[in-house]
Amino acid sequence: MRPVLLPASLEELWPLMRDHPGAAFMAGGSDLLVRLRQGLVDPPAIIGLEGIAELGLVHDEAPGWLFLGAGASHTALLEHSLVQRRLPLLAQALAVLGSPLVRNQGTLGGNLGTASPAGDTLSPLYALEAQVELRSATGSRRLAIADFILGPGRTALQAGEIIYGAWVPLAQDWSLAHFEKVGLRQALAIAVVSLAALISLDDGGVVREARLALGSVGPTVVRPRQAEQALLGRPLDAASLKAAARLVRQEVSPIDDPRASAHYRRQVAGNLLLRLARPAD
Amino acid sequence: MTWPRPHLQLGLPPRPDALDKASGREKYACDFYPPGLLWAGVKRAGVPHARLRGLNLAAARALPGVTAVLAAADVPGVNRQGVVQKDQPVLVDDKVRYSGDALALVVASDQATLARALALIETDLEPLAPVLDPEEALLPGAPLVHPERPQGNLLLEGRVTTGQGAAALEGCAVVVEASFDLPRQEHAYLETENGWAQMGQDGRLTMVASTQTPFRDRLEVAEVLGLEPGRLRMVAPYCGGAFGGKDGVTVQSLLGLAALHAGGRPVKMWLSREESILASSKRHPARLRYRLGSDDQGRLQALEARIIYDTGPYDHLGGAVLTLGLEHAAGPYRIPHVDLHGQAVYTNNPIGGAFRGFGVPQVAAAMEQTMDLLATRLGLDPLELRRQNALKRGDVNPVGVTLAGSTGLAQCLEAVAGHRQWKEAPAWRAAAPAGQRRGVGLAAVLHGMGYGPVIPDVANAKVELTGEGVFRVYCGVVDMGQGNAGTFLQLAGLVLGQEAEGLELVLPDTDRTLPSGSSSASRTTYTFANALLPAAQALKERLLARAADALFATPAEMALVPGAVRHRPSGRTLPLAQLAKMLSPEERTATHRYRAPVVPERPSADPALQLHGLPHGVFSYAVHLARVEVDELTGLARVTGYLVAADCGQVLNPQVWEQQMQGGVAQGLGYALMEELPAPAGQPQHTDLATYLIPTALDLPPIECLAVPSWEESGPLGLKGCGEIGIDGPLPAVGNALAQALGRHLPQAPFTPERVLMALQEDGKGAGS
Repeated sequence: MRPVLLPASLEELWPLMRDHPGAAFMAGGSDLLVRLRQGLVDPPAIIGLEGIAELGLVHDEAPGWLFLGAGASHTALLEHSLVQRRLPLLAQALAVLGSPLVRNQGTLGGNLGTASPAGDTLSPLYALEAQVELRSATGSRRLAIADFILGPGRTALQAGEIIYGAWVPLAQDWSLAHFEKVGLRQALAIAVVSLAALISLDDGGVVREARLALGSVGPTVVRPRQAEQALLGRPLDAASLKAAARLVRQEVSPIDDPRASAHYRRQVAGNLLLRLARPAD
Repeated sequence: MTWPRPHLQLGLPPRPDALDKASGREKYACDFYPPGLLWAGVKRAGVPHARLRGLNLAAARALPGVTAVLAAADVPGVNRQGVVQKDQPVLVDDKVRYSGDALALVVASDQATLARALALIETDLEPLAPVLDPEEALLPGAPLVHPERPQGNLLLEGRVTTGQGAAALEGCAVVVEASFDLPRQEHAYLETENGWAQMGQDGRLTMVASTQTPFRDRLEVAEVLGLEPGRLRMVAPYCGGAFGGKDGVTVQSLLGLAALHAGGRPVKMWLSREESILASSKRHPARLRYRLGSDDQGRLQALEARIIYDTGPYDHLGGAVLTLGLEHAAGPYRIPHVDLHGQAVYTNNPIGGAFRGFGVPQVAAAMEQTMDLLATRLGLDPLELRRQNALKRGDVNPVGVTLAGSTGLAQCLEAVAGHRQWKEAPAWRAAAPAGQRRGVGLAAVLHGMGYGPVIPDVANAKVELTGEGVFRVYCGVVDMGQGNAGTFLQLAGLVLGQEAEGLELVLPDTDRTLPSGSSSASRTTYTFANALLPAAQALKERLLARAADALFATPAEMALVPGAVRHRPSGRTLPLAQLAKMLSPEERTATHRYRAPVVPERPSADPALQLHGLPHGVFSYAVHLARVEVDELTGLARVTGYLVAADCGQVLNPQVWEQQMQGGVAQGLGYALMEELPAPAGQPQHTDLATYLIPTALDLPPIECLAVPSWEESGPLGLKGCGEIGIDGPLPAVGNALAQALGRHLPQAPFTPERVLMALQEDGKGAGS
């Protein structure tokens, strides 16, 4: 029998991790239970994290930052007033993640740890340039999300560490925060392509800063830097977006899978930019 | 059994099964866990075509907790099953013909041991070249799925010609031509294939299974097991969905074999979703080529149709699917000259079998999209084109059968023509926001009921007044979720004057209920209710007469009221419980046998086509309308509005009728938009419902269902079947809407975002280009 351990605090967690090397962490289980059933993983023990209350915290106590606890469920985040007010981009993504049942069960930490290029919270967190805090018995460290996620299913998490939460900088007010997920149906569908976009415009409607993050078009979320660059100093009109879209299609590296072809993903990754077009005033 | 709600009146909700199902009280076959239960499972081939050289079962047999490991040689009777042709081995004895073939059967003490034992079975398979394309399968030299068959890979071929056939296309003012490619569809019922069985000390085998066909299963399983059918008792609880996928044996023969080796203990077998997708039957993929001609006014003159169904490795009603497809290939129109040709072809792909619609969704997809091509060519409104060609009562249909019964297509067309969703269509399309395109498409469809002229379409009903004074309705035909059992109770209550507390239901059980055919073919309620109403009427008359005798009155003075018989002039009542005590068990029971009528026309002299069901005489009709919005950036097509106007004769229960329409449309929209199970190299590409997508509630629009009732003279209280007409129309209605939005028809379904986007780009009109 596989032990299932349920620590009630971080103090209880650390010795359990020491005594059960190789244990799998489980928060909501929406990924882990599927992989267990498919026989893809066979951990010697499971450590449930849902009893550790501080992992579910959401706060803005550190000036300029919003902290999102790894154990917060997607529903809890979606319903949190701070997320709704300060992170509309993330809220848009959470609203279309999985289904109500998956959102009730799954957590932000799980989405980070699973590190799927299709994780719906990841492209917003890349665009927001969030940092991931890792904790261990001996300390804490913070990594930029792009440094934390190394590849599909691979992260910088080391033995003895857990994902503690995400720190999102609140430095800017964005003119436009847009998330779009293209799935093969309207719920319970893994993204075929997703786009998270944050745009800052000056008073004349000219792009001052553009951050684009695309999911499901590469081994990790892709920030198409050339396309971002190409938008700077230009109005957010169809012509400039089409030019940026061409660059996006060059910067992504999608694959064929049963959901969609690489060709479709590449095409749509660019097309989605056109949704940002604003009528000229 | 107590019914929680007293109200039970024909024509009114609720369904009698609703509360028990919603609250989890109802037990499906999979809900039974008798004490001492063993588990059975099979080793599947995993390759599409191979010679079985040997099996090493020793390690599995040696595993502690394993009760039995069985192979083909252990099948005591005939190791072949099937409804029409018995060509499917229970356990493979010579060669593997598809990836889901069962090689060996294990009985074990628990599921974990079962899984370990199955993994320990070593197979020695010599790969054979598979045949995976139905057209290539017909070429000389193609690998043969059943080498012993003189017809090679052709399961069945059929042709129906009328008038001058295809030659009449020469004389048409306008001829349009198109090809269609339709996908393999998974039933995706919630309750996967399962059952449990136990050999009794009396030498009788009892089996409870999720099935549409308990009486036919009994004969098939008895033959496999080498038992007299009387030694088998099959019990069929409510199914958690079936849609044709349980029309025939799934686990039953294997389960019976397991029970023979279980030492009298109960054995359960229950396919995982992955195993269900690998092994179960699917909707036949089909390729169709149509040429349709009319005069310059749009009067249809001639049709040539070429249809190929991929039937997979076994005859899972594939011949019957082909035949129903042929009969419906020309749609609900007057066409004097047709040449309809179809083939059902064996391949090493997943099994093509019965699936709600039964060959008709494929031909309706082709015919109805071809009709829109013709309307476009003629510059005619698509509704107007259908109006002027619609079959009416008294017409001869395209395969030569006079429509002597109810034929309400024209009324359905009028209902749609007058409906807001049609009248407002041009304004709605014109209001498409930037980056979106809109289209509104129609499809007119028909669906025949029952088994056709040869196979007796029979039901036997039995109604009993119990010793306690309650009426018990013995339902011989399965309720797989569509609600027919509740309708039967309501019908019995109508005739016998009883409300819910005075009625009981016995679900199909070969020991208790009488043989009543399958729950399929839009015939379930039509056929069984035609047996039930006379049975209930006979019992009523007998009870009134016997009560009148007891009260020195005449039957005409008596009335059945809830729980009693009342002498109307005096108001005296005789409680049913008291009346029951005055009667022998025989007197308290009435039965009636009904066989559906057949039509005298024979569109084909081919006895095989007649055996497989050609022709039918009673049809339901419907007109479907779909509103579709296409996103130019992603190619995503969303159905945002839906209307179906259907003639299913009289509607006995509006709630059940609407549920049938909505369910059929929903499943049909899945077929149109996303459902597709390719099988490259003979392996289903999707293994579970994470990647084989069916629509969620968010993918479906509000579905408006308009009943356009006619009176079907042969039907029970004027009813016709309504189980399939809802699934025949969504794909062509969506296809026609998309064609309007895109300016071209898409030849390949489902209409995925990728296919739609590619069509937009080929036009050079995609917004992103």
